[in-house]
Amino acid sequence: MLQTPMNQSATDEREVLARLLRQSGGQDERAFAELYRRTSSKLFGVCLRMLRERGEAEDALQNVYLSVWRRAVSFDPARAGAMTWLITLTRNQCIDRLRRHRETSLDEIVADNLVDPMPGPAAHGEAGEERQRLEHCLDTLAEQQKAAVRAAFFSGATYNELAERCGVPLATMKSWIRRSLIRLRTCLEHFN
Amino acid sequence: MNTPLDNESEDLRYAEYVLGVLDADARAAVEREIASDPHAAAEVARWQRHLLPLAEDVPAKAPPEYLWARIQNEVGAGKSPQRTAASATRVGWWNSLSLWRGFAFGAAAVAVACIIALIVMPRASFTPRAAPPIAYMASAIAQNDGQVGWTATMDLQHARMVVVPAKPQAIPTGRAPELWLIPAGQKPIAVGMIAANAPTMIALPPALVARLGPTAALAVSVEPPGGSPTGQPTGPVIGKGSIGAAVPNVSGKPVALVLPDRSAHSAT
Repeated sequence: MLQTPMNQSATDEREVLARLLRQSGGQDERAFAELYRRTSSKLFGVCLRMLRERGEAEDALQNVYLSVWRRAVSFDPARAGAMTWLITLTRNQCIDRLRRHRETSLDEIVADNLVDPMPGPAAHGEAGEERQRLEHCLDTLAEQQKAAVRAAFFSGATYNELAERCGVPLATMKSWIRRSLIRLRTCLEHFN
Repeated sequence: MNTPLDNESEDLRYAEYVLGVLDADARAAVEREIASDPHAAAEVARWQRHLLPLAEDVPAKAPPEYLWARIQNEVGAGKSPQRTAASATRVGWWNSLSLWRGFAFGAAAVAVACIIALIVMPRASFTPRAAPPIAYMASAIAQNDGQVGWTATMDLQHARMVVVPAKPQAIPTGRAPELWLIPAGQKPIAVGMIAANAPTMIALPPALVARLGPTAALAVSVEPPGGSPTGQPTGPVIGKGSIGAAVPNVSGKPVALVLPDRSAHSAT
């Protein structure tokens, strides 16, 4: 009984975000403000997680929403959900920044543990269906490889940086992640 | 560098791109493919659907309020080409956090006090006949020892305020300074938490902007980090300052900013 209304509200939220995003692309200031209200905390969390520096994260988030304003017109709801589009935009903004400042940020990254400290909500059964499916497939990987995939996703670090961080040869890190990606693809597409 | 997997899984570069492990050159190459090749775009979209649910694990965190003001300004500046060059410049310097940081750390407290003395006009200037609309107001928030702890500059047109620490007294661990607006004869109104070691930008609600003026004052009290739980100051008041109009110079910037602005220009 509980499932249905929850799924319904998740669908509603997706539709509302897609509409707000389209309207923002059409320079609708009210829609843009509402989109910011609903999504900025999530996107700021992503910026903070990847950039680890408040000022940088603020500048990145500002650029993300400027891109939304200028480029949301290219958002295609048939291809991706609004939140996926926004998170992709945010991650790309952060990764580009990391690549530009690689020398300075590497020290901080090295200090960071490979294993992501946060227990995912998937572990608590609160996650969306897609997140749970991904968690199931991640669980089929060896512990070390699962950790490498998570570290790569959350840090935005290059193969080189990840290898250095884990103290393994570059070829080993590439092999871990590529094998993991192949397994994930097989596992995830088995569901569809 | 080459492993057998390189040949075996050519399409993995789209997955690697989405995961974020490619270096700048390889990323740029994939981005060019996405733009020109529908197959590449579809593969990247597929991997986004696969991997992006991981982002659900990242805790949300509300951005500071001044960020929305900054975004709105940029958006506004971009879409109205009829804006004058002067107002475009104004948006530029106001949004330059490094300028404010330079102001905070570069200016000695004495210099700040002098500058504020120069720009805060006598109250007599607030006659109904003061012809040009006042664009900025300023306040030097003095502490009990007479030293200026913070300076506040208010941009009325864009409803925002920058509070820059000059020489604030030490704040006890686990406490934080909160800024209040005190209209004459009325209760304090919370403006926001301010930092003791960096400039703070605050977006001002219209009700607050309407109350800024020569009869109002700003004050700083010491509160729990999240702000006063009661909506009124609960800790000691450590600073207070009256509000005056800031005189714009020819370029439209308050003269208080002439000094740091110059240094910022020479630095860039």
